[in-house]
Amino acid sequence: MVVILGLAAFMCIFPFLYVIVISFTAEESLALNGYQLIPESWSVDAYTYLWNMRDQLLQSYGITIVVTVLGTIISVSMIALYSYAISRPQFRYRKFFTFFAFFTMLFGAGLVPLYIVVSQVLGLRNTIWALIIPLAMNAFYIIIMRTFFMRSVPESILESARIDGAGEWRIFFKIVAPLAVPGIATISLFTTLGYWNDWFNALLFIDNPDLVPLQSLLMRIENNMEFMRQNTQLGAAAHQIYSTIPQDAAKMAMVVIATLPIAVSYPFFQKYFISGLTIGGVKE
Amino acid sequence: MKTLKMAAAASAVALIVAGCSSDEPATNNAGDVTELTWYMIGTPQPDLNDVMAELNAYTEEEIGVRVNMTQVDWGDYDERMNIITSSGENFDIAFASGGTYTLNAQRGAYLGLNDLLDSHGKEMKEAIDDALLEGASIEGELYGIPANKEIGQQRVFVFNGNLVEKYGFDTSQVSSYEDLEPMLAEIKENEPQITPFPASSTFQPIMPFDYVLGADMPVAFPLTGDTEQAINFLETEEAMAVFNTIRDFYEKGYIPADAASSNDPWPYNVENWFVRVEEYNPYAELLWERDAGYPIVTQPINDPVIKNESVTGSLQVVSATSRHPEKAVEFLNLLNTDPYVRNLVNYGIEGTHYEQVEEGIIRDLPARVENYNMPTYALGNHFILQLFENEPEDKWEAFETFNESAVPSPILGFHFDPSNVRTEIANLSNVASEYLAPIYTGSVDPEEYVPMAIKRMEDAGLEKVMDEVQAQYEEWKEVMEE
Repeated sequence: MVVILGLAAFMCIFPFLYVIVISFTAEESLALNGYQLIPESWSVDAYTYLWNMRDQLLQSYGITIVVTVLGTIISVSMIALYSYAISRPQFRYRKFFTFFAFFTMLFGAGLVPLYIVVSQVLGLRNTIWALIIPLAMNAFYIIIMRTFFMRSVPESILESARIDGAGEWRIFFKIVAPLAVPGIATISLFTTLGYWNDWFNALLFIDNPDLVPLQSLLMRIENNMEFMRQNTQLGAAAHQIYSTIPQDAAKMAMVVIATLPIAVSYPFFQKYFISGLTIGGVKE
Repeated sequence: MKTLKMAAAASAVALIVAGCSSDEPATNNAGDVTELTWYMIGTPQPDLNDVMAELNAYTEEEIGVRVNMTQVDWGDYDERMNIITSSGENFDIAFASGGTYTLNAQRGAYLGLNDLLDSHGKEMKEAIDDALLEGASIEGELYGIPANKEIGQQRVFVFNGNLVEKYGFDTSQVSSYEDLEPMLAEIKENEPQITPFPASSTFQPIMPFDYVLGADMPVAFPLTGDTEQAINFLETEEAMAVFNTIRDFYEKGYIPADAASSNDPWPYNVENWFVRVEEYNPYAELLWERDAGYPIVTQPINDPVIKNESVTGSLQVVSATSRHPEKAVEFLNLLNTDPYVRNLVNYGIEGTHYEQVEEGIIRDLPARVENYNMPTYALGNHFILQLFENEPEDKWEAFETFNESAVPSPILGFHFDPSNVRTEIANLSNVASEYLAPIYTGSVDPEEYVPMAIKRMEDAGLEKVMDEVQAQYEEWKEVMEE
């Protein structure tokens, strides 16, 4: 049993280890032999390359962290408040607002309306809010949280608080929120991951290099490679482009840098994660 | 309940306020000066704003225009511009190329420029090669200003110079794939570290066709013989002969075994290859050599042909949503005819990004490579650019000679409108992406797989597409002859 579990665990970690190995492989060795588990020659060139672009990397790191922290706080509070409201039977419009959120899960408007709303109606282009607001509300998480509140916060507790003279805000922060910690932690983890991994909003709304988050930087490099591949007829011009794109090892090094923090922080969330998720799956 | 009402009111107010303030400030007129927004492809450059400030000081005086360039990275550009044009966002000038240009022009996203060119862009019209203007026109209307550069497509064999010298090969006699055979055999035998003929999934063998829907789709017109008839080039003997040769190379191990699926770009700076095929323009070998750090030998395979692909490779379009189309064309006119403007946008500020060695000859300063590395090919007229000190003095003359020697493809200027056969094209494209890479790289036996591919393509609706292409071609031909 232990062996099987160990093997399964290893299979999960292996790809990441492989990425780390490649990031330390010399570029010539990659070109000649392809990816190898134990490369012919090692090198830290990729990290030197990253060190040379440290200004952009640090800037992007900063943006990613700010967006993730700020975004998670905003998103989780919005989702928690919304779902708490629609989880209470005495809230008269709860059916309407539940449907209001649920509807967006079934019918999405698509890309162009999103672009118009964020860039032209709200005017958020080239601001950090363009990375935060579009992801702030998530109907799926609202439904999960609503169920969670309905199951784990008994009406009688709220009633006793009300009798003791607590107002709605006090009830929410002093009683409901502590009871719902596993649920909130789960949503927090989801949204954190969502913000950390988001690159698409940056693609749509961010031109200013100072506001490009880390994953988006990675994605741009990937997309640039793809562009090169599809535009072979560019000929000489392609070389101009090629010189601005890092090589394989450098890409892998970026993956390491972009993934490591979130991978390291995961275990701290995990205990909440497990208890949080079962809530949605239990009938009573 | 009260809070709900208030929240609703607040969000409504927020929406209204945001709606009013979102009117693009970039296009407001400040006095008599017009602000233009300009989307450009390429990795955003740190010094862009400095250069734009310098440029604006000049253009404001000359034509009363300030330009505001936004760079969008290579791989993101098409998707981003698609959304921007679909959303009807207001902008003035943008870079466009190839299929995107044709499609958006047909959809009406770009402004027709024929009249504006006569009224506000006369000098530019004269400066740019007629073949470019003609080829980039769609049903007689020009929708973008093509970059004036090499207009023909010529492909060359590029040899690793070290190996050519070591084995004393005579590359000047090579004119087809078959001629390569003996050399490849010798390299294969004696140089185990070298891949004789590197190819990856994007490799496209050279064949005498002009592809209507791109070389990864089967519909083409022959460049010689009966050039009036759309064909499935997979059915031709010429194609089969080429496929067989490549297959032979593959079986003998000259081509890497994973070529059909590999994305390896085979960078020049790694000396692990012997011969490859590239698109040529005059003195490109110097560029390649600079990349490689060892000698490069080139040998042309065909005469330069002017194709739609080559004339729509790089254009500056004016958006249909532009509020200042005249000013936009005036600016493009300046960009294509005023050496100061063109060089400033391309190389940056003299003294900061480059220095003058002598009249018209410049030398890079470190800041240019790091902070202002612009894609020359995408920016307009090349012939008024200054030269680097290590470039041959007759570079632009060579380009002119090259352009004069180029022969127009029979379907130059014919832009297919796919709207009637969209479904069939999507199906065809699926089949093509499944079969073409393995056939092109010799990974499968063409005698067996080409008929299979043809069968599948016919099932996918090839005939309907072909008929549509042919009908549109004949219509176009008639209009052109009038």
